Amino acid sequence: MSKRMDTGNSACALAVKAAKVDFIAAYPITPQTSISEKLADYAAAGELSGVYLPVESEHSVMSAVAAASAAGSRTFTATSSQGLLYMHEILHYASGGRLPIVMANVNRAVCAPWCLYADHQDSVSQRDTGWLQFHCASHQEIYDTIFLAYKVAEKVKIPAMINYDGFLLSHSMLSFETLEQDLVDQFLTPYRPDWKLHPQWGGTFGNVAAAAEYSAYRNTLAEDTLKAAAVIEEEARNYQKLTGRWHGGMIDVQGPEDADVFLMSMGSMAAEMELAAEALQAMGIKADNLKVRVYRPFPAEALRQALPAHAKLLVFDRNLAYGHEGGALLMEARSALYNRDETVKIAGISLGIGGIDLPASLLTEKALALLEGLK
Amino acid sequence: MLELRIHGRGGQGVVTMAELLAKAAVKTGLEAQTLPFFGVERRGAAVKACVRFDRTPIRIRSMSYHPQAIALMNRNLLPYAQMDGIDPDTYFILNGKEPLDFKADQWLLDAEAVAIENNLVFGGEPFINVPMLGGIAKVLDIPLSAVEETIRGHWSGKKADLNLAAVRQAYAQIKKFEGGRSHE
Repeated sequence: MSKRMDTGNSACALAVKAAKVDFIAAYPITPQTSISEKLADYAAAGELSGVYLPVESEHSVMSAVAAASAAGSRTFTATSSQGLLYMHEILHYASGGRLPIVMANVNRAVCAPWCLYADHQDSVSQRDTGWLQFHCASHQEIYDTIFLAYKVAEKVKIPAMINYDGFLLSHSMLSFETLEQDLVDQFLTPYRPDWKLHPQWGGTFGNVAAAAEYSAYRNTLAEDTLKAAAVIEEEARNYQKLTGRWHGGMIDVQGPEDADVFLMSMGSMAAEMELAAEALQAMGIKADNLKVRVYRPFPAEALRQALPAHAKLLVFDRNLAYGHEGGALLMEARSALYNRDETVKIAGISLGIGGIDLPASLLTEKALALLEGLK
Repeated sequence: MLELRIHGRGGQGVVTMAELLAKAAVKTGLEAQTLPFFGVERRGAAVKACVRFDRTPIRIRSMSYHPQAIALMNRNLLPYAQMDGIDPDTYFILNGKEPLDFKADQWLLDAEAVAIENNLVFGGEPFINVPMLGGIAKVLDIPLSAVEETIRGHWSGKKADLNLAAVRQAYAQIKKFEGGRSHE
């Protein structure tokens, strides 16, 4: 284990190398580019045993990665914003094909207008592609979540997207600890799919299916995505046992036992939100930070369990759900808690769009305004 | 926690300077964070970087609005610093010969002269980020040995030697103006 002072993108690339990935395809886009540059460097220096394939677009990236995954490889790619949107068609192929690809999406606002900075519109727009979606709030969490994502994706046979905020995490430097290779290997054993394309074996992939087979495939994917929540919780615990590191299961709540106000957010905002919760506590409000670590599957059960009767849930979205009040987290939190307990009150706000800065002072102010609105 | 906000222009190496400062501080056992802002990612456009130093892990994920110290790569960046927030007791670390016409404690370094004297001129332009690194490290009490070690980790050979000479000269030359304050 060694401590490093480096960027979020370096934390990501180091973990991908340690995960012994067989195949990487990538196409540059800000703020993801330095991940693929570092991986290309590792491949050129012979530090990465896998193949690095530069291709001409994100659509081709996801096509190449899906094909390599279907051929039995552990695969990785990284993208952001428009790049992720351009992959959209093949994202459905990857999940429908039950291919455990892991992809880092460095969250960035979508066009138009053109904007380089962080919000979650890119990944939230891919909500219904059948991918697991993780969100990270620190460099350490980025590093550790790569291993967790491979472990879970390969177990449940569903691709996983690891999201973290552009520039705020990708280009900032923070200290984090890497892991000894033997510990990584202990947690993440080589990928051995029970089915793969092989030139000598024949077989096809993604062939035409009649409605009955098609719906069976897709319904199974939907059911298995829900079941993935328990696998994520279990593997996060296993990772903690092995390394001592804990970033939460589906969600993370750390605050006072008697908390009755919960500040729910995901991404880098969830780290800053700890400071907002402390500011509210100093004002005599029993506030707790509720970090959403996994957005897909939605942590509905974890949320139901975390909130006591009479809780006030304040939801902070870094995305917009056009045609609906607030953002995606607010909508889904309401849906998950509907009929759970009439005493639980929910309010929310969308903010930080296009990288608008979110200091704890602003989050505290917004939380107070939301609480006032619930009275 | 100590916060520094650096204002510079795209192409001046502000982000690299911030990273080297943070790495040097980490070598002394501190926690640190850099948070760069690239503006519109264009050469010559105003850019900034926040650097935080603390004894405990840093949870902030936003820019700095009340820094104890502000470094200006050029005096004409003062309006940007004013837009982002200056506290009454914020002190300045300035590249230049003359102090700012602004009521605040100031440290001055002629970083361009240090760059020219140490052959850090590329494409006809003096590169002032490493001289400024030396000056800022001195003001923030980061030991010269930690900065030197960081430079040796970042560059090698002749490039490292040039940068080491420049950083040492800057560390020795930066001067406080008007009995200015520094962090406690």
